[in-house]
Amino acid sequence: MSVELGHFALVLALALALVQSFAPLVGARLGHSALMRMGEPAAITVFGLTAAAFAALTFAYVQSDFSVLNVWENSHSAKPLLFKITGTWGNHEGSMLLWVLILALFGALVAAFGRNLPPTLRANVLAVQGLIATAFLLFILLTSNPFTRLVPPPIEGRDLNPILQDIGLAIHPPLLYLGYVGFSISFSFAVAALIDGRVDAAWARWVRPWTLAAWAFLTGGIAMGSYWAYYELGWGGFWFWDPVENASFLPWLSGTALLHSAIVMEKRSALKIWTVLLAILTFSLSLLGTFLVRSGVLTSVHAFATDPSRGVFILAILVFFIGGALALFALRAAALTPGGLFHPISREGALVLNNLLLTTAAATVLVGTLYPLLVEALTGEKISVGAPFFNLTFIPLFLPLLAAVPFGPLLAWKRGDLLAATQRLQVAFALSAICSLAGYLLIDRASALSAIGMALGLWLVLGAVTDLALKAGIGKVAPRMALRRLVGLPLSMFGTALAHAGLGLTVLGIVCVTTLEVERILVMRPGETVEIADYHLRFDNMGPFTGPNYTEDRAAFTLFSGGVVRGEIISSKRLYTARGMPTTEAGIRTIGLSQLYVSIGDNVSDDGLVVRVWWKPMVTLIWLGAVVMMVGGAVSLMDRRLRVGVPAPRRAATATAGKSAR
Amino acid sequence: MVFWVLAALLTFGASIAVLGPFLRTDERRAAGAEHDLTVYRDQLIELEQEVRRGMISQSDAAEARAEIGRRILRLKEGGTTEDGQPQKLSGIAVKVFALVMVLAVPVVSWGLYAFLGSPELQSAPLAARLTQDPAQASMEELIVRAERHLAANPDDVRGWETLGPIYLRLGRYQDAVAAYRRAIEFGGSTPEREAALGEALVGEKGGLVTAEAEAAFLRALAVDNASPRARFFIAVARAQEGRNEEAGAIWEEMAAGLPENSPWRGAAEQALVNLANLRREGSALSEGTKGGIPEEELAAVENMTQEERQEMIEAMVASLDTRLRENPADLKGWQRLLRSYVVLGRTNEAEKVLARAVAALGDQSQEARELVQFATGLGISEEER
Repeated sequence: MSVELGHFALVLALALALVQSFAPLVGARLGHSALMRMGEPAAITVFGLTAAAFAALTFAYVQSDFSVLNVWENSHSAKPLLFKITGTWGNHEGSMLLWVLILALFGALVAAFGRNLPPTLRANVLAVQGLIATAFLLFILLTSNPFTRLVPPPIEGRDLNPILQDIGLAIHPPLLYLGYVGFSISFSFAVAALIDGRVDAAWARWVRPWTLAAWAFLTGGIAMGSYWAYYELGWGGFWFWDPVENASFLPWLSGTALLHSAIVMEKRSALKIWTVLLAILTFSLSLLGTFLVRSGVLTSVHAFATDPSRGVFILAILVFFIGGALALFALRAAALTPGGLFHPISREGALVLNNLLLTTAAATVLVGTLYPLLVEALTGEKISVGAPFFNLTFIPLFLPLLAAVPFGPLLAWKRGDLLAATQRLQVAFALSAICSLAGYLLIDRASALSAIGMALGLWLVLGAVTDLALKAGIGKVAPRMALRRLVGLPLSMFGTALAHAGLGLTVLGIVCVTTLEVERILVMRPGETVEIADYHLRFDNMGPFTGPNYTEDRAAFTLFSGGVVRGEIISSKRLYTARGMPTTEAGIRTIGLSQLYVSIGDNVSDDGLVVRVWWKPMVTLIWLGAVVMMVGGAVSLMDRRLRVGVPAPRRAATATAGKSAR
Repeated sequence: MVFWVLAALLTFGASIAVLGPFLRTDERRAAGAEHDLTVYRDQLIELEQEVRRGMISQSDAAEARAEIGRRILRLKEGGTTEDGQPQKLSGIAVKVFALVMVLAVPVVSWGLYAFLGSPELQSAPLAARLTQDPAQASMEELIVRAERHLAANPDDVRGWETLGPIYLRLGRYQDAVAAYRRAIEFGGSTPEREAALGEALVGEKGGLVTAEAEAAFLRALAVDNASPRARFFIAVARAQEGRNEEAGAIWEEMAAGLPENSPWRGAAEQALVNLANLRREGSALSEGTKGGIPEEELAAVENMTQEERQEMIEAMVASLDTRLRENPADLKGWQRLLRSYVVLGRTNEAEKVLARAVAALGDQSQEARELVQFATGLGISEEER
C-alpha cells in the first residue's frame, strides 16, 4: 500500500503544483492578495507530498519490494543497506524524482521564508517555481514513472550498476542537484521581475544568497563527481571534458558569473538587466544539462536508459522555459531601470571583466559540447571534441581571468585605482614568482609551463591572503590591533578570500598532477618491486575475497620508502555476480597531499599481473580546493548583513563622469 | 479500503491547505515602492549598527549613507509615475477562479491516478514474501528461501542435494556446480554427488565433457562402476573424442542392461539413434566441419564460454557462406551451410540460402533437385517464387 500511496502523493503533488502555478500568477495580475497567497501553502504542500512519494520509493528499495518495476531493475536483496537507499536515485526515474524533490524544497523555502518579499514578487516567483515543478512532475508521471508495478513480482532484482555501488552515489547526485536546481530560484526571481516589469530592491538581496548556496552545492557536486570518477574508473583521470561533465560545468561557469554580478547588483544596484539575463541563462544551462544527460543523447554512465519519448518531452520543457524566459526578457528588459554608474577601473568594472571572461568561457565549452551532437544530427558523422579543443580555447580564456582575480577585491567601488592595487599585490606577486622559480630550479627543470601554472595558483592564494591582510591593516597598525581588526572583518570578506584561495588550490593541484605525474605500466610477479617517485612498491600476492554481493581478486602490495614499510595497498578486480559485471577497484594511498594510485589489469601467463602505478603529486588539492571554495560560500552565506557597497569618493584626478552600465 | 481513506484524507488536507488564504482575512497590502523603502530603511539601520561596532570608518559610512539616500531619491522620482493600485476585478470572478483552483486538486489527482495507478496491488516486500506459507509460494520463491537458508547454514548437505537437481532442471548450471561442490565438501564424496557434479559441469560448458567433468565421472565410477549417469557421460566424452565405437558400446550395454523404467536407458537409446544418424550423414560432416578445424582451435573451443563458442560457430558459418558465394558449384558445401543454419535455428536464412543455391546450381539441374530434397528432409522448403 505504501507504494501506491507514494504514487498517489506524487499525482496529488502535480495537482497542487498546478494551483501553485496559476493562482498566484492570476492573483498578482489582479492584485488579489488571497489568490496570490494561495501559492505559499501550495508550494509547501507540493514539497510535503513529493517528499512522501520519495520516502515511499526509498522504503520500497529498502524492503526489496520487487513488485515495483524500478526497484526490480535497480536493486538486489543482497546489496548493503546504504546502496539500497542510494539506489533510489541511482537510476533515471528515481533521480528525476530527487530533482523534483529538491525543486519543491526550494519552492517551499521561498514560501516559508519569503514573508518580507513584496507580495507580487513572491507570488510570481512561486508561480514560476510551480510551473517548473508541474512540467517535471508531468514528465515523471507520463514518461518515467518510478511507481510502475510489476505483476507477478520477481523474487530477485537485477542489481544496481556496480560502478554506482559506492559512497559517491550518496553524495554526488544530491549535491549536484542542489546546485542545478538551486539556480531555479534565481531563474524564478528573474522571470518574476520581468513579469512585473520592475526589479525591486529586495530582488538582489534575495537572489545573491540563493545563487551563492546553489553555487556552493554545485561546486561540491562537481568536485565529488570528479573524485568519484578518479578513484572508481581506474585510470586516474580527474576531468575528461566528457559532455556530461561539461553539462555540469556550464551552469557552474555562468553561475559563478551570476554570483559576481548579483554582488554588484546588491551592493551598487547596477548591472540589473545583465544579472536578470544571467539568471535566466544559468538555469537554462542547468536544464540543458538535464536534457543532455537524461535524454540519452549522450552515452555515459549517467544515461541509465534511453527512450526517445523522454528526450522529446525534456526538449519541449527546455524550449518552453528557455524560449519563454528569453522572449519575456526581449519584451520587458527595456522597461527595467538601469542602475548606478561606475568608472571602468573599479570593483564593478573588475566584476564585469569577470563576467565577460566567464560567459565567453562558458560559450566555448557549450560549443565544444554541442558541436559533435550537431554534426552527428546533420551528417550522421561521429566526431569527438576532446581535451585538445578545450585546452586550446578554454584555458587561454581562463588564464587572464585567474590572473585578474586578486585585483578585484582590492579595487574600490565606483572608481578604483589599479596602480595602488598593483602596488599592494607586489608582495604576493614576488612570493609566488620566487616559490615557483625555486620549484623550477630545485625540483623539476623539465617544464617551464608547470612553473608558470604553479605561480598562478600561488598568486591566487597569496592574493586572497593579501586582501585579508590589507583589510585588517597588518603592517600599518600594531599587531594586536591588526589581529582584532582581522577577527572583526565581516564574514563575507572571509568568504571571498576563501573562495578565491580555494580556486588557487585547485589550480595548483591541476597543474602539479598534469605536469609532474609519473606513470609506470608493467607486468609484476609476486615478490617483484617497482620504484616510483622515491617509493618502492612490492607486489605480495593475489587472493580471492567475497563481499556481500560480489567476489573479487585482491592484489596486495606493500609500500616502502627508504627501506621502511609505509603501509599496504590493496587493488582489486571485482565481479558483481547479479549482473556478471566486472569493475576495478583502485588502491590509493594518500601521502601528504599526494597520492599513489595502483590499478591492476589482466593476468598474463601464470602469475604475472599487469599493474599500473601512478604517482600523483598534490592531486588532492584539486578537490580540497573545491571544498575550500564551498566553505567560502558557506561563510559568506552566514553573513546576514544587508549590503551596501561604499563608493570611493570622487577625487580631483578622477573627476571625469562615470560610465553608465547596465 | 484503508488506501482509499488515506488518499481521500490527503486530498482533503491538500485542498484545505490551498484554501487557507481565503479563510483568513488579511488585507494588508503594500505597493512595490513601499517595500523598496523598507529595504533601504533596513540598510540605513544596519549601517548605523556597523558604525557603532566600529566595523566601518566614519567617512565610508557617510558615503554609504549618501548612496542609500540617492537610491531613495531615485525611488521617489520613479514612484510618482507608477500607478500604485493594481486594477480590481469583481469579487465573483475571483471566487469562481479560486473555486476552480481548489476543485482542480481532487479532480486532477483522482483522475490522473485512476489512469496511472494500480490501487489494487499490495506492496510485496521480500522479507514478508519469504515468510509466507510455503504452499502459496512460487517455485522461484522456494528456491530463494532455500538459498537464504543455505547461505546461513552452508553445511546443510541435504539442502544442497535438494537444490542441485532443481538447478540442473532450470539450466542454472553454475549454481548447480556450486551446490554439488558444497555437498561434496560437507557431506563427502559419493558416486551420486560426483556424477551429478560432472553433469552440472557438462551443462556449464554447453554440453562439452571437459577434463574436469570427466574426472568427476571417473571418481563416481571408481566407487560404483554401475552409475548410469557417469557411464552415459563417459560415452559422450568418447564420442566427442571421435571414438564412436567405444561410445556406442557403452550406450548399447546401457540400453540392454538397464531396467525398463530407468531414464538413462531412454537417454542411451536416443544417443544410439543420434550416433547412427551421424554415421549415415557422417561423410559430409566429417569432411567439412571436423576436418576444417585445426587441433589448437578445437582445444580453444573447450575453454570457451557459451557465447564465445556461439560466436565462433557463427563466424565459421559466415565464412562458409562467403566461400559459396565465390564458388557456388559445391553441392556438399550448400548442404553443410543449410544444416548449419537449421541447427542454429535460423530457418529464414536457410530458406534464403536454398533459393540462392538453386539459382546458382541451375534451376532444373540434377544437383539443385538433390539439394531441394535434402532441404525438405531438414524441414526447409523452397521459398515461393
